[in-house]
Amino acid sequence: MSTDASGRADERPISLETNQVGGAGTARSVALFCVLVLTVSYVSVLYGITQVVGGSLSLLALVAAMLVGATVLARLIRPWTAAALALAAAGIGFGYYLTSAGGDPSVVITAADTIVSDTVALATGLPILQMVQAGIWTLGFAPGPVFLSWYLAMRGQYGLSVVPGGAALGFLVLTGDAGMLVTVTGTLAAMGAIAAGELERHGGSIQQADLLAALFALAIVLSLSVTVVPGQPTAPTHLAQGEPGSLEATLDTAPRQSGIAGPVNLSPAVRFTVESDQRSYWRTGVYDRFTGDGWVRTGRSSQYDEPLTSPPNGGETVEQTITAETKLGVMPVAPQPITLDGDVTRRTTVSRHGQPRPETPLSAGERYTVVSSVVDPDPAALRTAGTDYPDSVTGRNLQLPESTSSEFRAQTAEITADAENPYETAVAIERHLESSKDYSLSVTKPDGNVAEAFTTEMEAGYCVYFATAMTQMLRAEGVPARYVTGYTSGQQIDDETYVVRGLDAHAWVEVYFPEHGWVRFDPTPGDSREDVHTDRLEQARDAGSENVDTEESDDVPVPDESSAPTGTEPGEQPEPDPNETTETDDPNESTPATQGNETNETPSNPATGTSGGDSITDGSLVTITRETAALGLVALVGLAAGARRTDAATRLRRKLGIYWHGRRHDPDRDAERAFARLERLLARQYRPRRRSESARAYLHALSTAANAADAADTTPIDARAERVVDYYERATYGTGVSRTEADEAIAIVDELARDRLPVVGRLH
Amino acid sequence: MTDTNSTGDASTEPTAAGDHLEIPTVERLCADIEANVSRVIVGHEDVIEHVVIALLGRGHVLLDDVPGVGKTMLARSVATSVDCSFSRIQFTPDLLPTDVTGVNVFNQQTREFEFQPGPVFGNIVLGDEINRAPPKTQAALLEAMEEEQVTTDGQTRTLPTPFTVIATQNAVEPNRTYDLPFAEVDRFMKKLHLGYPEPDEEADLLGRTVGDHPIESLEPVTDRETLVAARETVSRVQVAQPVREYVTRLAADTREHANIGVSPRGTISLLRAAQARAAANGREYVLPDDIQTEAPVVMSHRIKTADRDRDGDAIVADALERVPIE
Repeated sequence: MSTDASGRADERPISLETNQVGGAGTARSVALFCVLVLTVSYVSVLYGITQVVGGSLSLLALVAAMLVGATVLARLIRPWTAAALALAAAGIGFGYYLTSAGGDPSVVITAADTIVSDTVALATGLPILQMVQAGIWTLGFAPGPVFLSWYLAMRGQYGLSVVPGGAALGFLVLTGDAGMLVTVTGTLAAMGAIAAGELERHGGSIQQADLLAALFALAIVLSLSVTVVPGQPTAPTHLAQGEPGSLEATLDTAPRQSGIAGPVNLSPAVRFTVESDQRSYWRTGVYDRFTGDGWVRTGRSSQYDEPLTSPPNGGETVEQTITAETKLGVMPVAPQPITLDGDVTRRTTVSRHGQPRPETPLSAGERYTVVSSVVDPDPAALRTAGTDYPDSVTGRNLQLPESTSSEFRAQTAEITADAENPYETAVAIERHLESSKDYSLSVTKPDGNVAEAFTTEMEAGYCVYFATAMTQMLRAEGVPARYVTGYTSGQQIDDETYVVRGLDAHAWVEVYFPEHGWVRFDPTPGDSREDVHTDRLEQARDAGSENVDTEESDDVPVPDESSAPTGTEPGEQPEPDPNETTETDDPNESTPATQGNETNETPSNPATGTSGGDSITDGSLVTITRETAALGLVALVGLAAGARRTDAATRLRRKLGIYWHGRRHDPDRDAERAFARLERLLARQYRPRRRSESARAYLHALSTAANAADAADTTPIDARAERVVDYYERATYGTGVSRTEADEAIAIVDELARDRLPVVGRLH
Repeated sequence: MTDTNSTGDASTEPTAAGDHLEIPTVERLCADIEANVSRVIVGHEDVIEHVVIALLGRGHVLLDDVPGVGKTMLARSVATSVDCSFSRIQFTPDLLPTDVTGVNVFNQQTREFEFQPGPVFGNIVLGDEINRAPPKTQAALLEAMEEEQVTTDGQTRTLPTPFTVIATQNAVEPNRTYDLPFAEVDRFMKKLHLGYPEPDEEADLLGRTVGDHPIESLEPVTDRETLVAARETVSRVQVAQPVREYVTRLAADTREHANIGVSPRGTISLLRAAQARAAANGREYVLPDDIQTEAPVVMSHRIKTADRDRDGDAIVADALERVPIE
C-alpha cells in the first residue's frame, strides 16, 4: 500500500503497474546466475594457470563434474554430508599434490614440504604460477569450493553458497593471481547472489535492482580506490631504477616475474660500473615459467649462504667488483656467481637458479664483489654434450603454455630440421631470429602468446621478444632453456672498467648442456640493437642530460669500444653486442631526480624531450585500459541507478514543470498535471500540501491563512486557483474534463506561475 | 454549482427517466429539508445535515446523548418534512420483540389470525432509549434495520420504503441499561451527538416554544416518492477508483491501530454517506473531502480500542491525519 501511495497523481498508473513485475522465480534465476558467475570468476583464474602449466582439460572436466554432482546431490544429501564430501574432495586433491610433490623435496616450493606452509606462502602474495607444481595444486584446489558453493546454491542457500566461492576467490586475490576485473566480477556476483537470495526469500521484486546497482557501484569504486591486494604485478615497487615504460622497468617488473611490454624507451643514465678482468653480460634475473605474456620465476628464494652451486665442470673464475651508480634494485653478476662479498650480502636472497637479489635496493656508491665461474666451452664440446639432462633441469625448463599452437612447434621443427644436436638447434634458432626479425623498440605487444606471435606474425621486436621466442622454441624442441634478464657488458672505458647504463638492459637465453651447465645465447640482432642504443646515447649526450656519463666514460667514443666479448657465445656468434650500451630511453625519461649520482636537478628534461625528436617511442601515450573503461562504466551505471533511486530526474522535471506544462495528453491528465504544477507553486509560496489533505481542503486552508495574515505582504490566493482545483477534481474523481477546460486550467497555472516568477513577478 | 433557481417553492419534480432525479434537484431538496428542520431545531446545522444525508444514503442514525436535547424533535421534524409516516417506540426493560414488530391477533369474527403491524412499520422510526430494552428486543429492531423486513410466526413482511431508524441511547444511566452489542452498533450508519445548544441558541429555542410548538405547524417540503427517487439518485453517484482506495486505506489504518477496526460494512456505509453528501453538495462524484467529512461519524462507533484514552474518535482522527489521499 505504501508503495503505490507514494506515487503522485500524475504517476499513479505507472506505480500500479510496476508492482507486478519480477517475482521470486526471477530472483532465484538471478541468484543462481550470480553464484555461477562467482564460480566462473575463480575457475577462470585457475584455468589461466593451467593454460600455462598444463592440465586445463582436466580442470574443466573436474569443475563440470563437480557442478553436475552438486546439482544431483543437492536433493539427495544433507548439508553436513556435502561439506564432508567437499572436504574429502579437497583432501584427495591436495593429497595428490603432496605425493607428486613429495618425491623430490625441492619440488615443493623450496624449503617447505607441507601444504600449510605453501598455502601460507600463497596467501601472503606468492602467485600460484611460482609454485613448482602449480597445475596439480590447481586441480586440488578447484573441486571443494565449486562443489560446495553450487550444492548450497541449488538448495537455495545463496548466502552460504557465497562463502566457499568467495573464500576461493579471496584466496586467489591474496596470491595476486586474480586480476582486478575477475575480482570485481566475482565480488559483484557474490553480492548479487546474496541480494537476489534475500529478494527471493522476502518476496521482493527485481525492480529494487536500482538500489542494488547503486550499492554495487559504490562498493566497486570504493574498493578500487583503496587497493590493498598484495602481489599486484603491475607495480614495480621493488625496483628503484627504470621509470615506467622503460625497458628496464619491463624486464624487472617485480622480484619474481618479468613482464613483456609494448613499446619501451631507453634510459641513458649510468646504472653501475663494473671492474672485471673479463667482459661479460651482467645477469640480474632468471625466469623459468612462461605464462604466454610474461615470465615467472618458480620456487622460493633463500638467504645468501655461500658458496653457491657452481656449474658442473667449473669454469674460469672471474672476479668482478660492481659499484652502484644509482639506486639499484638488482644485483648484476656475471653468471654463474659463486661467492659474494660486501655489505649487501647480508640482505641478499638467492633464487633457486643461483641468481642473487638485494632485499632492499643498493644505494648509489655501494659496492660488492662477486666471484663467478664463467662457463665458456667451445662449440665442439657443446656439440657432444648429449642430452642427458638431470630431472631438476627438465622439470622446470621445458615448460610451454598449454595454448602453444602446433603451428609454432611445426615452424620450430622446420627451422631446426638440420640440427643434429641441441647445440645446433640453439644456433639454428638464434640465426633464424637474428636474420628474420628487425630490431625495434616501438612494437605493440600482441595479444595471446608472445613467443608465438613474435615468430609467426611480428616483423620486429626487441631483446625481450627475441629471447622469449628463442626460449620457447628451444623448449618446443626439447632443449632445456630459460629466460634471463640483465645488462650487456656496457661501455669499456679502460682495461678492466665497464660503465653500464640503463639502455644496456637486455634479455637473453641460457641453454643447458650436460656437463657444462647454463650457456648463454643471444638471439637479438646485435648490430641494429647497437645502432639504436648508440643513437640514443648520443642524443642524450647532445641534449646534455644528466648522469649519462661517469667521469671517464664521456671521453670514449661509444661505438669504438668494441673489444671482443669475453666469455660467452660459443662459436660462430660474433658477439653481437659488444657495446650494447644503448638501450635508449625516451629523452624525457632521464629524469635526474630519480637517478643517481650527480643530481643537480636542472629541469633540462623538457628540452631534451623536444630535442630528441626522433625518440623511438611514444612513452607518454595515454591509453585507456579495459579496467579503466570497465570502472568508468560501473561508476556510470551506479550514478544512473542512484539518480533513479533518488528521483533526480523527476525532481528536475518538477522544478521545470512549474513553468512549463510540456506536451499535452488527454484532457484529464492535463488537468491533473495543471493542478500538480499549481500545487508546487503554492508549496513554494506557502507550504506543501500534506499527503492526507485533499486538494480542496489545502486550498481552503491556504486562503484562510492568507486572509488571516492580513494581506500586506502576503498575496491572497488567486480565485482562479479554485477553478484549477475544480477541474482537477473532476478529472480525477468525476466525469472528466473537456479539452477546453483542461486548456483553461493550464492557462491559469501558466499565468500564476509567471506572476510568481522570482524576479519577473516583482517587475509586474 | 447549480444554476437552478433555489428560491422557488418546495415542490420537487421527479424526472420522467426512471425513479431518479437530477443532481441539482437533490441538492435543492436537501437544502429545503434542512431549512425546514431548522425551523424546529435551533442550531445543530451539521447534525441536521448528517441526518438528512443518512436518510438519502439509506442509513440509520444513532443519537447518543443526554435526555432533553431534542433528539425526538429532530426525528419528528425530519419525518414531517419529507411527508413520511413516523412512529416511535419507547424502549423499556419490559418491552417485548412483538411490541416492536407487531403480532398476530385472533379475529373472533373472521376466525382467523390477523397481523397487527407493530410500530416498526413506519418510514421513519424513532427508537427511543434503545439501550433500555433487553437485547432480544433490541435485536428485533436491529434485524429489521438490516433486512428491511420483519418475520413473525414464519411470515416475512417487507417494511415500507423508505425505512430509516433514528435511535437514541440513554447515556446517563448506565446501570439501568443494556449496552448495545458491538455487532449491532455496526448497523447504524452514523452515530451523532447533539449536545447542549449554545447559550444564544438556547435563548432562541426558549423564544420559539412560547405559544404553539413549531413542530405543530411544520409542513412537508417534499413527498415520499421524491425521497425514494432522491435515494436512487444518490446510489448512482460516481465513486472513482482513487476514492475507493482511499477508503480502503482508511479502514486498514483503523484496523492496524485498534483492536477491532472498521468492518467492510462500515466502509460500505462510509461510501454511501459520501455519495449522499456529494449529491447534497450538487456533485455527481465523490471527493476525498466527502469521505473526510463523513468518516468521523461513520467510523468512530465501529472501532473498539483497548486503550481507554483513545476512543474511536481519536483513532479516526489519526487515520485522517495519517493516511495519504492519493
